[in-house]
Amino acid sequence: MILLSNEVIIFLFVESLLLLLLSIAFINTLSIYSKWDFNASTSLQYRLEKRAYLVVLIIVVSLGFKILLLPYFSFMIDQLSAMVPGAMCGAGVLSSNEYGSTLLSLKVVTLFLTGAWLILNSEDIKAPAYPYFKIKLLLFIMIYLLVVFESALDILYLINIPTGAPVACCSSIYGAITGGSPLPFNLDITRILILFYLFYLLSVVSSLARYSFLNTVANLLFLYIAYFAVVYFFGTYIYELPTHQCPFCMLQAEYYYVGYVIWGTLFLGSFFGISAFILKLIIKRELSYMYRLSLVFNTLFVSLVSVYVLVFYLKNGVLL
Amino acid sequence: MPNKVFFNFLFLLIFRHRSKHIAIFIISTLVVILFSSVMLLSHAIEQDAQASLSAQPDFIIQKMHAGRAVETPVEWLDELSEIEGVSSALPRVYGSYFYTPNAEYFTLVGIDLFDRQISESLERLVKDLDVKDFLAQPSMIIGSGVKTHLDKFYYKEHYTFRTPAREKREVSIYDSLLSETNIVSSDMILMEESLARDILGVDEELSTDLVLYVPNELEHDNVKEKIILLFNNIRVIEKEELSTAYAQMFNYKGGLFLLLYMVVLMTFILILYQRYSMISSSDKKEIGILRALGWSVNMVIRLKIMESLIVGLSAFVLGILLAYGYVFYLDAPLLSEIFLGNANLSNKITFNHSVDFGLLTLLFLFFMAPYISAVLIPVWRIAITDPLEAMK
Repeated sequence: MILLSNEVIIFLFVESLLLLLLSIAFINTLSIYSKWDFNASTSLQYRLEKRAYLVVLIIVVSLGFKILLLPYFSFMIDQLSAMVPGAMCGAGVLSSNEYGSTLLSLKVVTLFLTGAWLILNSEDIKAPAYPYFKIKLLLFIMIYLLVVFESALDILYLINIPTGAPVACCSSIYGAITGGSPLPFNLDITRILILFYLFYLLSVVSSLARYSFLNTVANLLFLYIAYFAVVYFFGTYIYELPTHQCPFCMLQAEYYYVGYVIWGTLFLGSFFGISAFILKLIIKRELSYMYRLSLVFNTLFVSLVSVYVLVFYLKNGVLL
Repeated sequence: MPNKVFFNFLFLLIFRHRSKHIAIFIISTLVVILFSSVMLLSHAIEQDAQASLSAQPDFIIQKMHAGRAVETPVEWLDELSEIEGVSSALPRVYGSYFYTPNAEYFTLVGIDLFDRQISESLERLVKDLDVKDFLAQPSMIIGSGVKTHLDKFYYKEHYTFRTPAREKREVSIYDSLLSETNIVSSDMILMEESLARDILGVDEELSTDLVLYVPNELEHDNVKEKIILLFNNIRVIEKEELSTAYAQMFNYKGGLFLLLYMVVLMTFILILYQRYSMISSSDKKEIGILRALGWSVNMVIRLKIMESLIVGLSAFVLGILLAYGYVFYLDAPLLSEIFLGNANLSNKITFNHSVDFGLLTLLFLFFMAPYISAVLIPVWRIAITDPLEAMK
């Protein structure tokens, strides 16, 4: 029954189409990678260069669609919550079988590498002699293998979503009912918040000063802490309910889909922050716009979640 | 980023090759119209159904006998209303009435006008409802489908019902319901409860079913358990179950259509692929000149991709707009019957405008992903044409 859901059909259709395209690119990549020699002036190299255009074109287009598909995936599991008994939002559907959370993390990782690939590609095209061509292809081979694995997980996950047996809802997954502290390292909410703003400051300072390594570390820590801060603190202000702790409900129409903006800006902010360092290692050059973008998205994210708390305080005169 | 000159050139190019693009454009538009009107329609009906469901009671309780629902004793209400969390428990009286002249079934619903909740919602449906006037004589409020059928046989003022005891009951027509509510009310007749009991032959101490209102959603599971423990042989229908059933039904109809439509889309991709793979000599010459002028392969690829993207996107937008007009302004003639069916009274429905971002993304992905995939390889093939060879 799940497979007849409109969103699932479209999702799998587009996924398999992209997999087909990427497979074409992958086969070409293998032969290009083994025989590529930019300095040679043989007709083989000439042919390979022509094929390389196709490979790059296919990858750019399908990875572009992949970026669109991640928010669509979260939208889809949110829609499925109407059909899975017990699920009130995406959290229940995602945790309804053992593949769900692996799949989501895999998708985020793939998206991360995809973004890095697209930036590397644009740098590569700008340079005269395709200096990063081989690294680019290697990275693509890695992404492709991840995508194949991801597609298999997609199918496994979707056909194993139960429609008969009830699944847990978000309040039981995120610990409001079961009790016990769900936060890491025995931290409490106050400390999480202190860390949250501290790591944000650190990332601001390090990106202004262009300390690329420090910036990466700061962004990684910030990403980790921000996840908990949003789920266990800021989320409750979005829902205006102290017991409602869920990363998925904010994706719903009741909260004006604000979750997409929140998670989107957090992802983009940390993506540019972290990949600035990795790309610097590859291309041996600072990409200053990465720091700028990281700063912009992190700031957007922090001010957005803070505004929710502020508005709640101004309206009601108390904190939750 | 491509600049103004680039776009100027791009549009000139599209205009020059309009005869080549026009066929693709028309087919694309038709493809988009067909599937988006089906999807818009199913979405609109589902939204309407879910909206009317939200006003429904949280639990429906029916007495079962040998697997069939039978009339439920009203006295059960005493025990049911004592369950904690239940804000109100009411009996309902309704049923089908066979309308002989046209061999159609009307749905007769008995309403308790002294219940504040009911009379308030009724006032929203019927303009200038005067309860005193309504109760002064046996009268009814009819759905628009019923009205059409009664009008056909000149029952303008009143209609005479026959009770199971073969008595005649003349009931005057008070008013008809607004047509916005047609999806549920087209075949409906509302009348005072005791009158409905007479016509349907339901005894005073019985009711068609019982309904419970439980405002706190978190209590639903507990309440359901308690109801089941109270009586034997009952069926308890929860509102959430109905909502899930609706969602599944519309998903099923839409899903089946999408699966079949995928075949059409695949054929469309093939046609597109073939069409763009045909490289005429003038095309070749054009690319050759551009390359000779110093364009790189990447720039030619960008130009060609943009060219088909613009054709595809404009076809998509036009298709969506036309489908929107067809569904929401013309009320989807022909197509709506597939979804609504007319097993009962034929239903003339005006759909409430409902489009959300999720649906548009769904349509966009369903059309644009295959469209773009189909043109990639042909575009590449054109772009790598050797300039020298092309200009020969």
